[in-house]
Amino acid sequence: MKTLFLPNARPPRTTFALMVAGQAGLLLLLWLFYPLQLFPSLGDVLRALADLTTTQGLVPELWASMTTALQALGMATVLALLISYLTALPFFRPLAYAASKMRYLTLTGLTFFVALLVSSGHEVKLSVLTFATTVYLVTGMTAVMLGTTQQELDHARTLGLGEWRSFWEVVVLGKLADMLEVVRQNFAIIWTMITLVETLYQSEGGIGLLLYKQNRYLHLDGVVAIQLVILAAGAAQDYVFGLLRRVFFPYASLAAAR
Amino acid sequence: MTPYSYKSPVLTLDNVSLTLNGETILRDISAQVLDVCRPGMNQGQVVGFYGRSGMGKSVLCRLMAGLLAPSSGEVLVGEAQQPATPGAVGFVQQHYPLFNHRTLLDNLLVAAARRYPDPAEARRQAEEYLERFQLTPHRSKYPAHLSGGQRQRAAIAQQLLCSDHLILLDEPFSGLDVAMIDEVRKIILEVTTLDELNTVVIVSHDLATTTALSDRLWLLGQERDAAGQLLPGATISPQHQYNLAEMGLAWHENVEAEPEFVRFVEHLKEEIRLSA
Repeated sequence: MKTLFLPNARPPRTTFALMVAGQAGLLLLLWLFYPLQLFPSLGDVLRALADLTTTQGLVPELWASMTTALQALGMATVLALLISYLTALPFFRPLAYAASKMRYLTLTGLTFFVALLVSSGHEVKLSVLTFATTVYLVTGMTAVMLGTTQQELDHARTLGLGEWRSFWEVVVLGKLADMLEVVRQNFAIIWTMITLVETLYQSEGGIGLLLYKQNRYLHLDGVVAIQLVILAAGAAQDYVFGLLRRVFFPYASLAAAR
Repeated sequence: MTPYSYKSPVLTLDNVSLTLNGETILRDISAQVLDVCRPGMNQGQVVGFYGRSGMGKSVLCRLMAGLLAPSSGEVLVGEAQQPATPGAVGFVQQHYPLFNHRTLLDNLLVAAARRYPDPAEARRQAEEYLERFQLTPHRSKYPAHLSGGQRQRAAIAQQLLCSDHLILLDEPFSGLDVAMIDEVRKIILEVTTLDELNTVVIVSHDLATTTALSDRLWLLGQERDAAGQLLPGATISPQHQYNLAEMGLAWHENVEAEPEFVRFVEHLKEEIRLSA
């Protein structure tokens, strides 16, 4: 037990698991028995979840949003990698700089311009999400690339690898695991944005619109139910990304302190 | 004294100076490493550059490895005495970098591919170096799983696989305990016995160990002007170039125990103190 309160300690697995279970149980008890009813009760949330699933198509809406999010993430990842890797050439550095700064743009006005450019509601959603995710990914990815040390590049050069081959070996292959981590971290941003985009452009539906409607009519139990579903989906995604990292980049976590 | 003779130069620093952001780091450095030949011996040589911390040793290494161009003067390497370019000299950096995303064998294969375009031959050479450096049991491990000594051996093997006889070690004894220093010394001697043409250049602040291993030694230090003011940039003054072979202090198995060697190291320490 003492190890749980020691800095940098490594408690036994069972102690840690018990601690997590205890904290989760405490949170549940607090939810069940908190005297001020600011928050919908667990029973209300479960009932709202059942209602959303059976009558309002929560699962298909979630699936629609998730596939759109994955599509956007895939396209944004390719674009962001391309922009980031191009920073090897000084000519393209302003592009990456500008792309990174565009994360300060608000999406509200952007959907209108995108709607003029593309034909369907789905494409609007996808384009806006891809744009918004790309600018965040570029920021994270260029930061990873800037973490490349002189020693790493010198090492490749001393092996007689040319500049492009050194870049490929040290930055592209050597940082791929870190790039996946950037993608994992920024996937959460897509969930924040998808609810916003679906609200702004409602023709396509999606879990964001469902959430918006629940919120608009003050169905707080429904809001909490949807938020919990998004939380669970996000946690599952995090797990999958972690799994991919362990499978494809087994070396990535070897040197990390546990 | 062991008979020896010198042949062609393998490394030449000709009036090399380096200024970075207006600050003189190195000034007018001249030194030449000649290929030494000992009758009946099939062994290369070890030469040393000593310099105190912050004296620009790592910068000197990068110049010799062709990773940095001097502001003036030139660095020539190899039998043909060509200007140093990246890859022309094997360079083992201080923390023994390897590709962390590749296994040990893959690390060696990347290096071998340059000199051996035939993949089968590259693999054979890489396997041979693994065996020679007692790394075969670790061939499938990632660098993060290797010990400091294994990592150092791997980094040296990697450089040997792709370079032409000249190998540069930046601070090979830094932060090592006595047992590990002995281990590194063994590796360095092993490298010199691999090929008669192999030359190991040690750049270090470990005076005694560098002196004990080398047959030529250069002390990097600062000079003073007539008024006693320190001149900017480190250099190698003519009186700080030592031919240990000529002095009878090279190629002895346990030279550090010899009184002459002890006296010489004390003399060097005094010289270093005076130039500080």
